[in-house]
Amino acid sequence: MTTLTDRYVAEALRGIPEGQRRDIELELRSSIADAVEVRLRTGEDESRAEVEALAALGDPARLAAEYAGRPLHLIGPALYLSYTRLLKTLLTTAVPLVFLGASVVGFARGGPAGRALWEATGTALTVAMHVAFWVTLVFAAVQRAPSMRDRRPARWDPATLPELPARRIDRTSLIGGTSVATVLICLLVLVQLYGPVPVISPGLWESGWLYLAVVFAAVRIGFDLVGYYVGWGVPQAVAHAVMGLAFVVLGVWVTAGGALLNDAFLEAMGWPEGVVTWVVVIVVVLMAVNDSINGFVRARRRKA
Amino acid sequence: MIEDDVLATHRQEIRRGTIVLACLLILRHPGYGYALLETLESCGFAVDANTLYPLLRRLEKQGLLTAEWNTDESRPRKYYVTSPDGAELADILSRDWDELHTAFTKLRDDE
Repeated sequence: MTTLTDRYVAEALRGIPEGQRRDIELELRSSIADAVEVRLRTGEDESRAEVEALAALGDPARLAAEYAGRPLHLIGPALYLSYTRLLKTLLTTAVPLVFLGASVVGFARGGPAGRALWEATGTALTVAMHVAFWVTLVFAAVQRAPSMRDRRPARWDPATLPELPARRIDRTSLIGGTSVATVLICLLVLVQLYGPVPVISPGLWESGWLYLAVVFAAVRIGFDLVGYYVGWGVPQAVAHAVMGLAFVVLGVWVTAGGALLNDAFLEAMGWPEGVVTWVVVIVVVLMAVNDSINGFVRARRRKA
Repeated sequence: MIEDDVLATHRQEIRRGTIVLACLLILRHPGYGYALLETLESCGFAVDANTLYPLLRRLEKQGLLTAEWNTDESRPRKYYVTSPDGAELADILSRDWDELHTAFTKLRDDE
């Protein structure tokens, strides 16, 4: 046989286990020869006949995959939904927290606030890409396990249906939460810059640490968006609570250390510093605890 | 007016399940790859060569066909023949086919 068939057979045998190679090769060559012979009998030109016969057989890689029983997809229908659900859960919980953590670390190290945010974004994106890559790799590997060959999707249980509204937080909550966070931040900035007496101590303001508050607000809004567009369950509630905890820890540390509030402001208020500190600490803790509990309540609504 | 693509897809779907039964019936007498392809085509079961050849191997692996190399003719050829298990499956599938035929006839006549 001429080299075209040889090339075809070589491609079609790729990845075929040793024990079957000889048998498949002989049969394939025989079938191609038969096809060519039939074409020659009908008067086709010899080189054309071979080309046409091979073209009719199609892409040898497909043939090899069929012979070896390899799937021609990365992740098939049986595993796909589990894959997307896991990916969504991991990305909506881990990535916001990583962003938060990286921001805190970046600010703590000092230096310009902009750079800390930039690096935090970079870290969050890297983590997101790693999560996506490794989850995909694991599922693709599982898809190729021998027992997955003819597996039908697992039986779906109606008990896992989420409660209505289908979006775990409704639009009013989303808009409300986002607005409150935005308004508070704007108020803070406005009072600081244009108010009679700045509330936050100038040292803290200038060092850019307050950008961290903006980061917290942004992550909080991010969680709300996740709850609206993607879905909200216990994993997301846990991540949300972790964020609340970080907020409390940082807020209390900064306030108790006397670094948060402006001395001029305290004088203007006329309250003793100890009292104001306690008030702020209690407010911060209550806010965070209320928020976290809300998160779990929302997640609970999912169960029947 | 039905679009060609839609028509082709549905016609392919209805024929897809019939190839295995057709092979099991035709191979009650020994046959080899290319000849089987031609026979199927002449009976009206259009099937791609790159679907049929791996299918024959799969059926052999499942014990529904037995294979033997024949070196008598000019070219060595692998002949398949329906095994007893294969004949049994052919019976079951044929009965299923008849039941479907009766059901369809009844549906059409009920109009």
